[in-house]
Amino acid sequence: MAGCTTTKVKSAAPAMIVQAAPDSKGLLIQPDVQLSLVTASGMHAVRADWSQAAQANLAAAIANDLKGRSHPFEVMDPAASMEGRTGQLLRLNEVVGQSIFIFEYGKPKLPTKKKKFDWTLGEGTQVLRAQTGADYALFVTCRGTYATAGRKLFSFGAMFLLMDVPLGQQKVQASLVDLRTGRLVWFNVATAGSGTDIRTPDGARDLTHSLLKGLPF
Amino acid sequence: MIGWPYRAPRLFGAFVLTAVLASAGPPAWAAAPADLELRPPNLKPAPKSVEAGMWDDSDRAEAHTRIAAELDTDPALQAYVRGVFCKIAADYCGEARVYVLDRPFLNATCFPNGYVEVWSGLLLRAQTEGQLAYVVGHEVSHFARNHSLSKWNHDKTTRDVATVLTVGVQAGAMFGMVKVAQSGAPNSRQMIDDISDMAQNLNDLIYLGAMAHIMAYSREHENEADRLGFQRAVAAGYEKSTGPDMWTGTIAESRASDFAAVRKADVRASIYRTHPLDQDRIDALKAQGGVVAAPDIDARKRYRAAIRGHLGSWLKDDLRRRDDGQTLFLIDRLSEVGEDFGVLQFYRGEAYRQRRHDGDAPLALAAYKTAVGYPDAPVAAWRELGEALRRAGDKPAAAEAFETYLAKAPDAEDRWLVEASLKTVKGA
Amino acid sequence: MKTISTASAFVLLALSLIGCGGGTLDGVSPGPMAMGDKHHLTLTRRWADVSPILPQRSKKVRVLSVDGPWLNRVYVARGLQPGEGMLKRQDKEHPVPSFHADMAPTELVEFATDSVSAMGYMRVETSKLRPARFGAADGLRFDLAAKTESGLEVQGTAQMAVAGKKLYVILYLAPAEHYYAATLPDVEEMMRSAS
Repeated sequence: MAGCTTTKVKSAAPAMIVQAAPDSKGLLIQPDVQLSLVTASGMHAVRADWSQAAQANLAAAIANDLKGRSHPFEVMDPAASMEGRTGQLLRLNEVVGQSIFIFEYGKPKLPTKKKKFDWTLGEGTQVLRAQTGADYALFVTCRGTYATAGRKLFSFGAMFLLMDVPLGQQKVQASLVDLRTGRLVWFNVATAGSGTDIRTPDGARDLTHSLLKGLPF
Repeated sequence: MIGWPYRAPRLFGAFVLTAVLASAGPPAWAAAPADLELRPPNLKPAPKSVEAGMWDDSDRAEAHTRIAAELDTDPALQAYVRGVFCKIAADYCGEARVYVLDRPFLNATCFPNGYVEVWSGLLLRAQTEGQLAYVVGHEVSHFARNHSLSKWNHDKTTRDVATVLTVGVQAGAMFGMVKVAQSGAPNSRQMIDDISDMAQNLNDLIYLGAMAHIMAYSREHENEADRLGFQRAVAAGYEKSTGPDMWTGTIAESRASDFAAVRKADVRASIYRTHPLDQDRIDALKAQGGVVAAPDIDARKRYRAAIRGHLGSWLKDDLRRRDDGQTLFLIDRLSEVGEDFGVLQFYRGEAYRQRRHDGDAPLALAAYKTAVGYPDAPVAAWRELGEALRRAGDKPAAAEAFETYLAKAPDAEDRWLVEASLKTVKGA
Repeated sequence: MKTISTASAFVLLALSLIGCGGGTLDGVSPGPMAMGDKHHLTLTRRWADVSPILPQRSKKVRVLSVDGPWLNRVYVARGLQPGEGMLKRQDKEHPVPSFHADMAPTELVEFATDSVSAMGYMRVETSKLRPARFGAADGLRFDLAAKTESGLEVQGTAQMAVAGKKLYVILYLAPAEHYYAATLPDVEEMMRSAS
């Protein structure tokens, strides 16, 4: 099952990724991270300490990565922004992300979306633009599991959450949204291999590097 | 979690959820459980502990509730319920965050992090503030005695002593669910079914995750919570019949179900998958000094005054469960107070109208007729009376009812529909 | 922020059954689409038939979408008979909202809103109740507002008519933010053309 999902960058115009103008400003939405321990019997235990560590590491790694791109950016805490139109956009982003996972990376394809990567949050993102002055927003979600050492594990495959996360892996998803139009101009999923542990700053840095390599920002 | 006298509608097949269990090492804050050792106020869990994981899940559930559609936003009601909580749990009042959720099931829960939920289904079923306080006190006692944690520490479903168990907020816990069922935890399979049923109905996986921490209370824990909850209620000055009356009422409601399977099921299984409700528990409360008594009418009136504004919408929500026998039972009991007949009779009519059993149509008609005689009848009662009369063939009376509706609700959205109905009964 | 709807989770289950490299959902081309008996409507664009991934719906109901059912969904109920509903009944103790031949128009609206609640939406409300035609039969149109469990606002519109003692429904739901308006013109044309 796990092998069915490939890690692929999806972008709005695969042949021509339009690089963001040098002075465009970014809005980094703090990453949503959840890491679990999976036991031999197949139970998941969400670990608060791991999730928090990974969140902090990823947030720092992403921020550093963005700093290196010479675009100004600001950071938004989604938990503090759930009211009003912004709150609706954040909730919508989550639903769009779910839909992308199921239909772009999952098994059934939508015949209405065969040709291109065509997803949007709609014109409402201009509210975020007006609020923050940002031209692009970067949303990041991470799900991962760690297996207990030396145990034979079941494979849950596509039954695990939204992200088809084979056991013992961490998967990070990023989407870049053009706040002028609301369109998702770039989307990527990166999977951490066995040498990478995002609970450590180095691991988070490595995974972030893979994740954001082709980011046109 | 208390439980509820009927199962939430099952929208999907059996769903997947979590299992609970074992952790290595002693709990981070409790010593070996002494008899009345209570959790100190403002406790925080040790990092990396099982408790921290439970807190994290509870934190997520709370964050989710704060933005959820079912959060009841009436500040007066929130203040009232919070006030009752603080009367019954003064020791934890400062750290608790109390939320009222519009969910038509009898439930209240104190999560390990101090996040407290009280559901509208409980507020509808409590007959007095004392009964509400008792149920909250019962839940607070689970919290005060760390029952969810000790359950974790004592259960073992796997030979792997290093594993900890938690709530599956993820879909991939199907195998975990099977393990729970095999674990021998009391009524574990039914427990998972109940959680998943409710969550499916509520479409709330986040909630599912956190709730699973709480669900698996043992019989001993339920007895202890009954005992301690009763003590809290009495200490706060409430009447001694709170506990027994609450549970007696719940059993009676179960027996009033439209569904044979619910009525006949062992009350233990149908109401309290994980915490059986039976005469033993009621007897235990009586032994403590509790009494079964018809609740004091003044106490009932006082409580009614606190929830009056929500009575109609909660009954409407209860109808969505589609067990009209039980809704009618509740309405009968609510009617004993002698107030709010306009609202109560209207919803009686709605229950019969929805149920559509043989003989229900004239009962609906009678109820609507009674309702409109009271000043608090919702204006829709006139429209429904008109429809019921039309069905019964009494055209002139139907016309009069429709005309009254149109006069009372000139801006009603369904005006043109009622005008069309009026035309048909006038023979125009 | 971490809401995962039960529907999504169920889809994951369904996905795992479809298998690796599994297929594409059926497309429905523009043009006439059958609605049961001699009734039909006209589609003005290509839709995806997402019925297989929403197993909760009853067999007489077809669900169409463009961007997946969490971003837009159109239920087409093709002649429900008395006792039938838009959703499948799981067991005896859990009835689902069902159609009855003697329902008053307000009860038909109630049937629709009850069904939407039973699908998992919260705080379902209707507005702008107005008449509509369904071929030779009188029908109803109305708009809806609801929320998902996580608080995402959803808007909808519905058309219902009883013809030959059967109920025909076209019910559209989509997030209020962008998505409802984006496909509304196509849905309006479906409803206008239904007969």
